[in-house]
Amino acid sequence: MYICFMSNSKLYKGSLTTIILKLLNENDKMYGYEITQKVKVLTKGELNITEGALYPALHKLEAEGLLDVEVAKVDNRLRKYYKLTENGTKETVNKLEELAEYIKTMQALVNPKLA
Amino acid sequence: MKLNKSQIQDLYAFTRKHFVEYYDLQTELVDHLANDIENMWTENPKLCFEDARDKAFKKFGIFGFMEPIEQKQKAMGKRYRKYLWQELKQWFRIPQIVITISIFFILYISFSSEYAESFSVILYVLAATYSGYKAFKLNRYYKKRQDVSGKKWLLEEIIFRQASATGLVLLSQMYSTVHLSNGALTNPYLLLVACTLFTVLILVSYISFELIPNKAEDLLKETYPEFIV
Repeated sequence: MYICFMSNSKLYKGSLTTIILKLLNENDKMYGYEITQKVKVLTKGELNITEGALYPALHKLEAEGLLDVEVAKVDNRLRKYYKLTENGTKETVNKLEELAEYIKTMQALVNPKLA
Repeated sequence: MKLNKSQIQDLYAFTRKHFVEYYDLQTELVDHLANDIENMWTENPKLCFEDARDKAFKKFGIFGFMEPIEQKQKAMGKRYRKYLWQELKQWFRIPQIVITISIFFILYISFSSEYAESFSVILYVLAATYSGYKAFKLNRYYKKRQDVSGKKWLLEEIIFRQASATGLVLLSQMYSTVHLSNGALTNPYLLLVACTLFTVLILVSYISFELIPNKAEDLLKETYPEFIV
């Protein structure tokens, strides 16, 4: 089962992996909570990644060898950071290309004049 | 305002109460809840810890921590199968392939002989005794490790407990052989398939009962390098 991770639109479903990879590509390493907050800030609250969907996605990417992890002690507790592996960096390029292609196709369908 | 050590311990207990048994996942979720609580406190410093914690937990949705737990189990199962496959491949390379072929021929000769039925019963009893003994020993060893560390690691549990499940598969298949040997294995193709299957099952059992548990420490270090102090 894959729950809808965006509270506001089902259209974004399926892009979670791309969003995570893209953010990690730009930020070297990030932890789970930071990712949810970063998305909220970047989209001015338009997108909201739910916790119940974020961690399964991160663990799946880690199992696929696209993410590497490291743990650091921060404020009385341990924090798990994620960063892209070499394969993860390549996959980010692929995923972004796929997304761009998708947007182009949708543009051609919904607004042929702009395409 | 930051959470103190006792509140962090409370969050660990909270994750355990919500069925998160494994330390690596507990640690990640504790940090997440802690961050969210601290974030809530910046906006409302008067909010009590328990209320903030429950609010943070509610954001995980109606299934709570179940989704992260399930995905973690899937991911770790996949990793274990990868280790198993890596070991199995070794048995089809020189020099181990000599042993693999020998097992296959011993099974083939035995199952095609007139003593096939007696042989299958002996094989079944031997396999049952070995599997039962190893499963018991690994389980006891796992409990001892738990008592010492006080922490649960998913891969560790799979290594020391999954072996028993593999043994059971082998036993159930062997039991079918006892029946198959009553004349059904006179079909040469069926005999070849059965011998190949049992050769692989014997190897998988040996790998999961002996080789992988013996390498457990290295595999755990490889899987959880971030937690090595």
